[in-house]
Amino acid sequence: MKNKSVVTEAREIQLAADLIRLGARLQLLEVETNVSRERLLKLYKEVKGVSPPKGMLPFSTDWFLTWQPNVHASLFMSFHGFMLENTQLRGLGAVVKAYRLYLEHVELHGMECVLSLTRAWTLVRFFGANMLKMATCKECGGHFVAHALDLTNDYTCGLCHVPARAGKTKRHAAANVAAANLVAANFAAAKRVAQVAMA
Amino acid sequence: MNAAEVYDEIKEMNLTYLMLAQQLIRADRETAQYRLGISADIADIIERLTSSQVLKMARSNMVLCRFRFDDRMLLGLLSSHEHDRDISHTHATILAGSRAVEAVA
Repeated sequence: MKNKSVVTEAREIQLAADLIRLGARLQLLEVETNVSRERLLKLYKEVKGVSPPKGMLPFSTDWFLTWQPNVHASLFMSFHGFMLENTQLRGLGAVVKAYRLYLEHVELHGMECVLSLTRAWTLVRFFGANMLKMATCKECGGHFVAHALDLTNDYTCGLCHVPARAGKTKRHAAANVAAANLVAANFAAAKRVAQVAMA
Repeated sequence: MNAAEVYDEIKEMNLTYLMLAQQLIRADRETAQYRLGISADIADIIERLTSSQVLKMARSNMVLCRFRFDDRMLLGLLSSHEHDRDISHTHATILAGSRAVEAVA
């Protein structure tokens, strides 16, 4: 679609550039803005310095149900749900605001950023298409992402019952060892200081 | 702590709270609503307060902000040392997202 107004187009390009910076893929931009594909391509290269990734968007709902992605997806949906329930924001605006809160949470707690903006946007679209729903955990009462057709009367979430090996990746183990070494080093240093003070 | 000190501390706290709330709402309304746990109506009211109104409101012997997490489960998650802290916080955030916000009657 061709934009009639230059001002509108400028605004749309600004929005597209912001979305690209947040990690949006071309398909998202094509749906959410009225900027032509060629311009979006050019914009993407200018903002990111590389060509946009080719290929289809992830289309499986199953990804959101494995342990770590499920926690992240449920976290994002809790922000998104707050926006829909308590503010005027709808559509892309709500997704972006919720995603910024999600990024902040991830950064604050030193977690891995599992959910990309495109994933988050796809997640919301899956909800719109009734492919996913929120299930209520019978232990904590929180709302978690689940398949629309799953039986969830007796649902317990992955955080109330953490699977034995959940989150225990090689990287996690390495980080734990590093943290333990740091604690040991600090302890040794403190001991030395104490000995010096005694003497 | 005598009565005058308590009164001073509460005034200080109310003032800080109201000023922070105003600043957050003006910078980014929706995110502020999330952080403060307030409805759009309350956000409107706080945003429109003039400086003299803020001062007047702060000068009180009651604290203006309320304790938000009136839930054993949430409190347990936020304060527990048993589990990985980041995971507990994530769990608490998921639970807190669906809480009702403060609203005007």
